[in-house]
Amino acid sequence: MKKKNLLLLPFVALFVSSCSFDMDDEGLSRWLSDQGMPSSYKVQTVTVSDLKPVSAEVFKDTLPLYAYSRGVLGATEGMSFDAVFDFAIDSAFTARLKKMDSVKSSLNLRMVDSYYKSPYLPSNYFPIEEDLKLNVSWILSDKMSQKEWNKIEDIDDSVWMYELESWKSKKKADTTISVSLGSKDSLLVFDMPSALVNDIRKNSGYRRLQLRLSAPEASNVYRFYGPGLYFPRFRIEELGGNGDYVTYNAYRSASLPKNHEKCSDCLILHSGVFDSLVVEFPSKPIMKALSDFYGDEFPYTLGDSNDVRQAVVMAQVSFYKDDSKGKQELDMPIQVIAGSFMDSADAVVRRIENYKLDRPRVFKSGHPNMVFYDGDSLSLQVTAGLRDFINKASDGRSFKMMMRLGYPVLLDRDTVFYDRISSDKDTLQLSNGNSLAVDQGDTVRVLFSHFDYARYDFTSIKNKPATLKLWLASKRGEE
Amino acid sequence: MKKFISALLCVSGISFASMIGVDALGEEQLVGGSAAMAGRGFAGNAKTGDIEGVSVVNPARQAFDTKVVLNLNFLLGVTSASRSSSSFTTSNISMPSMNLSFPMGDFGTLGVSLWQHYASSIREDIHNEEEKWDAEIEYQSSLYELVPTYAIRLPFFRAISLGASAHFVMGSFTRNLTLGPDNSEISKEDSWATNNSTVSDYVNGDWEIKNHPAYYTFAAQYRGRMASYFFSVTTPYTLQNELEYNFRFSETDTLAPTRIMREIRVPAMLATGVNYRFNKRHNVMMDVAWRAWDRDIENVAGSWSMSQVTKTQNDFNISLGYQRDGSDVFYDAYWDRMVYRAGLWYKNWYVEDVSEIGGSIGIGLPLGRKGMMLDLAIQGGARLTDDDRNWNESFFGIRLGLVGVGNWGKTRGQ
Repeated sequence: MKKKNLLLLPFVALFVSSCSFDMDDEGLSRWLSDQGMPSSYKVQTVTVSDLKPVSAEVFKDTLPLYAYSRGVLGATEGMSFDAVFDFAIDSAFTARLKKMDSVKSSLNLRMVDSYYKSPYLPSNYFPIEEDLKLNVSWILSDKMSQKEWNKIEDIDDSVWMYELESWKSKKKADTTISVSLGSKDSLLVFDMPSALVNDIRKNSGYRRLQLRLSAPEASNVYRFYGPGLYFPRFRIEELGGNGDYVTYNAYRSASLPKNHEKCSDCLILHSGVFDSLVVEFPSKPIMKALSDFYGDEFPYTLGDSNDVRQAVVMAQVSFYKDDSKGKQELDMPIQVIAGSFMDSADAVVRRIENYKLDRPRVFKSGHPNMVFYDGDSLSLQVTAGLRDFINKASDGRSFKMMMRLGYPVLLDRDTVFYDRISSDKDTLQLSNGNSLAVDQGDTVRVLFSHFDYARYDFTSIKNKPATLKLWLASKRGEE
Repeated sequence: MKKFISALLCVSGISFASMIGVDALGEEQLVGGSAAMAGRGFAGNAKTGDIEGVSVVNPARQAFDTKVVLNLNFLLGVTSASRSSSSFTTSNISMPSMNLSFPMGDFGTLGVSLWQHYASSIREDIHNEEEKWDAEIEYQSSLYELVPTYAIRLPFFRAISLGASAHFVMGSFTRNLTLGPDNSEISKEDSWATNNSTVSDYVNGDWEIKNHPAYYTFAAQYRGRMASYFFSVTTPYTLQNELEYNFRFSETDTLAPTRIMREIRVPAMLATGVNYRFNKRHNVMMDVAWRAWDRDIENVAGSWSMSQVTKTQNDFNISLGYQRDGSDVFYDAYWDRMVYRAGLWYKNWYVEDVSEIGGSIGIGLPLGRKGMMLDLAIQGGARLTDDDRNWNESFFGIRLGLVGVGNWGKTRGQ
């Protein structure tokens, strides 16, 4: 026999054996049973009622929002958004500007079409009309060399954003703009006060202009495109004469949110910013409920005290909710995002929880994690957080979770819950009561891709007890 | 080095097929698991020759070797477990050992063996169409030993050799039981929460010896004109297996594991054997090895309704073998240069109420003039159990051994 053939033998034998023998599932299942092993894990539920938080705290987000593609200007109840733009003014025009008899300046903002022309807006959304009281402040730099002036474009956005947190400007002027936006409008033109253009006329040469618009008393929030899509433009033009003008594109823009809520005990969250509410529940009632259910001691304190006797397959906290104290722009429910604080590599991190669909419930009465919606309860899934909490409860920790307002929900009873391409003509029933016809190939969106700059009051969480429901997989044997 | 060896064994596919003792140590691979030994019923540790190579039971034997031997062994095994009307079959391929021995004339013989002493390997999926659940079971345990050996013939009693070996223990253990939900205890309205929620009961850990780097075997061998004998003692030792128990939803979504150290006290082993040669090339041989377990073995278990211990019994192995050596003369007929082997063994497992009876036949096929050899063995038998947990098993295996021979350090004509 040749060597090659001999070497092939084991592989042939392996092939033959792998083809010849098929596993008998029933046999293996019985073998597992004889070993005391299950072939599935038993799911059990434990409910912890009357769970009162030991603390609940709102963390307000007031950091500047970089408006590369989209920015906002205006105000909602309890919040206002200033807009800041960064321009470079060249010496050639300012030299001419000095000689002009009369000039005016304006800021042109292109409105976000995907929002203002969206079919999902309430039918009475337009026209938007108001006399907008605008405070304009600006920082005009000292005279620059052309080389320095050219470098304005290269300033790091992050550096600029950091500097915005300590905006100091002595130059300011108030003006009132009459805003009237219809559904077909796409440009918002703000005439700037004459003090601004006069200041530029006085100061010739290469200069950097940072312009801030503030409208804390506005009735609306205006969404505009940032320089990443359509440049916000600062225009200076001669009135009369040759009609000479120049338009400067903003190198960068930002929105600066300001929280005006005065009630320190209230748990008020605003949408559109990363306001978050952190609720902390005591360990004792949860441990007691588990102890009553399993008849074991909780928390687990043997050995290294890591409890792996069971694992949380699902955990859901249900809060009382009262939508009446909230205010929103759009007539759509808003999803509440839940997160938990858990261990990760010797640190505690905050993770956003997955959301698993209770399809029969969603079909019948909508998603349970929405505010501005029917019913008086809000149910949030905190599975990973509870899993970590029970696993490490021996160190005396309490259970901490976070909630935040997310995007408006277009399809409140959608059991698929992801954006998809429509395979047929269909009429969608939207959450705001409207119907929307879609053709084959159209995108069916579950969430509206723009924030509703809403305000929601969660203060009732402090007083009304929550209910925690756990779905557990246990490794305990039959005693 | 450990990593390198681990990688090597992983590539070669570590696995024995028996399902008995998987929660304890797994299946023991007898006497190094070489194909040549397997062909003669695992007997013949007393048999000396030019190229017998390393014996992990009798390190003194290699002192009589004259040539450098590299020996690689492979096993293809099929095991069928059954109880009442239920049965299932598993098949595995493994590399039980590789050995290298290096004779140095009057300075004795050095050797090294990489021996997979205990192992278990199961990896199966179960699908239940009716109840719509799937489960996966995986046991992967490999306790292997790196065994350097040394043997030397006595200066004035050249028929006697003494040998010793150190067994450095390495390896790992993994049990992974992936299960789907059983919603029978919850209301139908609550069952949505377990959609796509498989949970893995995951245990893993490493093998090592407690408070000592190795355990040892000491042996003496007598080579007579017709009969050869050996006697060896292996020291007792305590295996240590630090296990991490966990519940996993995925490899990254996992709890902080709890750690439990289990200790297994392996008793001393006494082994002896005889080889009787007649008509120049015919050999009959018998080996006996014996260990007295005085403690049960703590199981991996840790959950469900699994037994916490594996009860032990005195384990012993009696093997009987025959071998007809091949002709050394290259110009003889090929069939005459082949080695023929046959053997039987009876083994009392370390697991209580488990015994094994097996038989084997084997051949050694010479490759070329220098003494290279390909050993083939076919083995079969049954494992009989008498408890509620373990099932009877029948097994069948093909072993392949490659023996490379060299004459390092010697000039032609020497």
